[in-house]
Amino acid sequence: MSDEHRNRWSEDVAAYALGALEAQEARELEAHLEGCEHCRQELRWLSPAVQALSEGVEHQLPPKQVRDRVMTEVRADAKREAAAAAGETRRPSWLSRLGAGTYGWRPAAGLAAIALVVVALVGYEVGSGDSGSSGVGESTVVPQESGVVVTMTPKGEGGVIELANVEELPEDRVLEAWVQRDGEVEAVPALFVPDHEGKASTTIEDMDGVEVVMVTKEPKGGSETPTSAPIVNLEVG
Amino acid sequence: MPLIGEKDPEAFEVFYDRHGGVAYSLAYRIVGERAAAEDVTQEAFISLWRSGARFDSTRGSVRSWMLSIVRNRAIDQLRSKAGKAPKLAFDDDSILEQRPAEELTEEEAIRNETASEVRGALGTLPGDQSKVIELAYFGGFSHSEIARMLGVPLGTVKGRMRLGLEKIRGELAEGLA
Repeated sequence: MSDEHRNRWSEDVAAYALGALEAQEARELEAHLEGCEHCRQELRWLSPAVQALSEGVEHQLPPKQVRDRVMTEVRADAKREAAAAAGETRRPSWLSRLGAGTYGWRPAAGLAAIALVVVALVGYEVGSGDSGSSGVGESTVVPQESGVVVTMTPKGEGGVIELANVEELPEDRVLEAWVQRDGEVEAVPALFVPDHEGKASTTIEDMDGVEVVMVTKEPKGGSETPTSAPIVNLEVG
Repeated sequence: MPLIGEKDPEAFEVFYDRHGGVAYSLAYRIVGERAAAEDVTQEAFISLWRSGARFDSTRGSVRSWMLSIVRNRAIDQLRSKAGKAPKLAFDDDSILEQRPAEELTEEEAIRNETASEVRGALGTLPGDQSKVIELAYFGGFSHSEIARMLGVPLGTVKGRMRLGLEKIRGELAEGLA
C-alpha cells in the first residue's frame, strides 16, 4: 500500500466506522471500498471496536411501557398485514356477503320491537362484470326496499357507506348508522344528512364482527337506540 | 431474526427482551434524557420490525444492525434538538452493507465481554483519543466539527480516531485470545 493511499483512505476508514465523515466524504469512501480489499479489511477489523462502544455504555433499565408500546404497534402491524394479505385473495368477509346473492332480513337484537319488513337484497359490483372474488377497495351496491341505494366500500378495517335516493329530511331529523355485533346494536358515532341530491355518506371504522348495518332517521342530536324503521338494513356477517 | 423476517410478533418480543436493554442504554447515553431515549428505542425497534424482512444475516449480526439503527436515530434526535440538520442518511439497509459476515463470531464474543471491561478499553485511551471518539460516536459530530471544536487540524482528529479505535480493537483481540 502506498503512502498516498494510507494518507488518503486509512484514516478515513476509522472516521467512517465512527460515523464521523461528512456525507460526501462517506460516499467517496464507500465508492473506494468497492474496489479496495485492503480498506474493506481495515473496516472489518475496526468494526468490533465500534460495536464495543455501544456495548460498553452504562446499563439503563428500559421502562416497561417502552416494551408495551413497541409490542402494541408490532401486533397491530401484524394484524393489518395479515388482513391485507387476506384481502389480496378474497374480499372482506362482510363485503363478500353483500354481493353474493339474496338475503332475508334478520331482526337485530334490541330492535325486535321495531316492526320491519323482510326485504330481499340483490347485490352487484360497481364497474365490473366479475361477480367472483375481488380485492379490498372495490365497492358493492345494494338497492334497498326503501328506495335508497347503498354503496359500501372497504376502507382499512372498516367501510364507507354511501347512500343515494335518500328523501329530504325535516330539519329536526338526521341519519344515524348502526352496527350489530354479537347481537348487540351499537351506534356509529357520526350523524349525517343527505345533500340536495339525496346523497349521504358515513364511515364505519371497524367492520370486524359486524353482522348487520342499518341506517335510521333519528331526532337531531341522534339517539342511543334506533327509534324508527331502518331505511338501510344490510346483513353482512 | 428469521422469524422476525416472517413478521412473527412472538419472536420479536423475544428479540426485544434480548436487545432492548442495550438499545435503551445506548439511546440514553446519546440523548441524555429518559423520555427521548424511550422514543428513540421505540422508533428503532418499530423500524427493525418493519424492515426485518430485508435483514441479511450473511452481512452481519442483527445486534450490530440494531445498535447502528439506535445510534443513528439517537444522533438524529440530538441534532434535531440542537437545531442542526441531520448529518446521517438513515438507510437501514446501508448499515448492513458495512457489516461483513466475518464479524459475527467476534461480535458474539464482544457481547460476552462485561460492560465494564469494554468501558475499560475506552478508559485506557489517552484523553485526546477518547475525546474525539466520544464526540463522534456519542455526540454525532463530524471530524471537521470536532476539529473546529478542539482547535486542532482535521488530520489530527482523524489520526486520533484511528489510533483510539485500533487500541480498543487490540484490547478486544487480546481479550479474545
